[in-house]
Amino acid sequence: MRDAIQAPNVLGMKDHAPPLVPLRPPETVLRLSRMGQMMPTRLSFLRALVRRLCAERAAVSRTVWDMAPQGYGRAVYSIDLGGHTYSLVAISTDLPDHKRSDRVIATAWDAAFVLFDGVPGREDLDRIAAQAPKQEAGRFGPRDLVLSRANKSVRMWDATVAALRAGRQPDPNMIRDIGYLMRTTAVYGNGKFGIADRHLIADRPGLKGPFAAEMLTVYLIRHFTLDLVQHVGGAPLEPDLARHLGIGNATGLGMAPFLVNHPVLLHNWMHARETALARIIGRAVMTDTQAERLLQLAYRARAHLADWHVPAEDHNAILRQLEADWDAFLPIFDAPQFFGALWQAAQSRSDSLQELLAALLIEVCPEDVDDLAASMGDPFGPLVTPFSDTDAVKHAIARDWAWALNCDYEVEDQCRRFWYVSAAKLEPRLGDRFAEPGADLESPLDIARRVAQLNADLPDRPTPVSDFTAAYAQHAHAIARVALLARYPYAEIRDNLIGATCRPIDMLRCKLSYFGATKFDPKSDLWTRITLAQGAPLAHELRPEMDDWWLPVMER
Amino acid sequence: MSWTEVQNLGVKAANGAGVPPAQALAFGAMLARHVADDGPQGIVATALSEPERIVGLAHRVETIVEAASISAKPVHAKEEDAGTRAMLVSWIAGLPCKSELEVTGAKLRINLSLTEPSARGRPDRLHLDPSLAALMTELAAKTYVPDSDMSRSGGAGAGLMELD
Repeated sequence: MRDAIQAPNVLGMKDHAPPLVPLRPPETVLRLSRMGQMMPTRLSFLRALVRRLCAERAAVSRTVWDMAPQGYGRAVYSIDLGGHTYSLVAISTDLPDHKRSDRVIATAWDAAFVLFDGVPGREDLDRIAAQAPKQEAGRFGPRDLVLSRANKSVRMWDATVAALRAGRQPDPNMIRDIGYLMRTTAVYGNGKFGIADRHLIADRPGLKGPFAAEMLTVYLIRHFTLDLVQHVGGAPLEPDLARHLGIGNATGLGMAPFLVNHPVLLHNWMHARETALARIIGRAVMTDTQAERLLQLAYRARAHLADWHVPAEDHNAILRQLEADWDAFLPIFDAPQFFGALWQAAQSRSDSLQELLAALLIEVCPEDVDDLAASMGDPFGPLVTPFSDTDAVKHAIARDWAWALNCDYEVEDQCRRFWYVSAAKLEPRLGDRFAEPGADLESPLDIARRVAQLNADLPDRPTPVSDFTAAYAQHAHAIARVALLARYPYAEIRDNLIGATCRPIDMLRCKLSYFGATKFDPKSDLWTRITLAQGAPLAHELRPEMDDWWLPVMER
Repeated sequence: MSWTEVQNLGVKAANGAGVPPAQALAFGAMLARHVADDGPQGIVATALSEPERIVGLAHRVETIVEAASISAKPVHAKEEDAGTRAMLVSWIAGLPCKSELEVTGAKLRINLSLTEPSARGRPDRLHLDPSLAALMTELAAKTYVPDSDMSRSGGAGAGLMELD
């Protein structure tokens, strides 16, 4: 076992004493079963972005609104953030129902979007209007920062338009249950299809955090959907209802390989969250204000869980169990407890309850955690020192990879799955090695198996690593992962990602919780719908006091 | 093209040419730096037809990094072939760590600071030769699994119709 992991001094962060308790070890938090229970926190990227917008009292201005009565046309919204102006260009089109699909292989959408660097002129607008609806088939330039598209939730959209046209407000229960008017099916950044590389904007105030430009896009898309439905409905939405309409998202397998292919980012995200939790658990004092806040949020979490129902019976059963567990745990908040005692009391409870409590504790102490958001990016790429020889590799494997070695990858169910990229719009997919063709083109996400194979081939006597790789070039990938994990302990998921029981939905839940997603609505083990920005301040409400929307509950 | 597009295309093309994953990843990073620094692109096409040459280059860089981790002194290397030398320079310049290179004829003098990030700038556009881009796109396509009903219905996300 490695020594207890402590929080490092991260350059540029406020001075914080190291936590008095060790961080939860990677072997605990990087199991898929626990990652699949993660909740959004105030470190989540959308929360951090909106917090910044609130701090800057950012204002959104609608500079173009060229929209037919039925809601088809173009719009532009501009916002200042960190001394730069960004504009969302929205193109809304008339999409026949039979073309509406959440999948990557779709070719048409209700709306297409580009986040533009600056304020677009007429030529920019015409170019974007011609290219954005093509999405992956379009070409974009370095002033196009993010590309996205969205489909209507037809039920929510039609009901809202009908209600507004009839002089009513939409049904609050429907808003609670669905939570958005449109859902995005892809949000592309970082150089895809010619758009700007992340390095071009990564130093800008407000956009330094991971996926910050994407989150800004998502927030502005949500604002656009609210404007559009009021335009088509011909009447305003009540603010309390509008605020509870977020922006949906449908996410498939593409997100899962990201966590494997960006190990330093995974480390930084996990490490920041665990450092936040450790700082709070280690607090020696709890103020009356914190105790009151804790109680308030614990009951808000209860109400949120009660509002959160999903059609999939198995996933709904998990939610109902969490709701019951949380109800049973709630009395502990009625009597003031130190944070550490609260956390200790949860250790005999379920993983899902612990993850909910972790997110709650992080929410209660912003002064202890908000600086950590600055440490969640990866501006440099992996900086690792090579092993001195093959014995050092062996030692690192014995220390960090026991979980990968305790598995027989020759057994069919331990290697049943294979990850691949389909020729159909390069959609990431997961196959059955023993039932489908294509395993010879497997993507290298079988990290655990590769490290086990490396371990088996390492020589008995110490040898320079470069001598070893000269004979075993195929092991270079595993050696790189072993070196990475030695430096970045939270960089690797501690599970066999090609086992028959691997559930990609757990990886999606983890990543989406870092985005700030709520109301996870899994449709299978391979994809999920979520809601973003539900409860977030509306565009005219971006003030510091409005940053209070963790696990939102509709005000009635 | 964006930096990311060139880099990712390089990774996929190398994979499609038969280069193992770690070396293909490094090749992608080399390619973006090579194009950014106006390195000769013909040699890249040649290398992709000889995957063992790419693996060999990756191994050479590994030995240089290994030497740099043992001693703070500069590492010296020699490469007579101008094309291979140009790729070797780009490979080292494309590492995530800080690097300083002096090239005199066939000789390279290399200083690596393995724990310091690279400070090399990146342009906002890269100009990949169309014939090289076409070759790499063709090689990349070799890594994609052909579409099928089974794959489409069972291997991925949402159903075809999403009306709610």
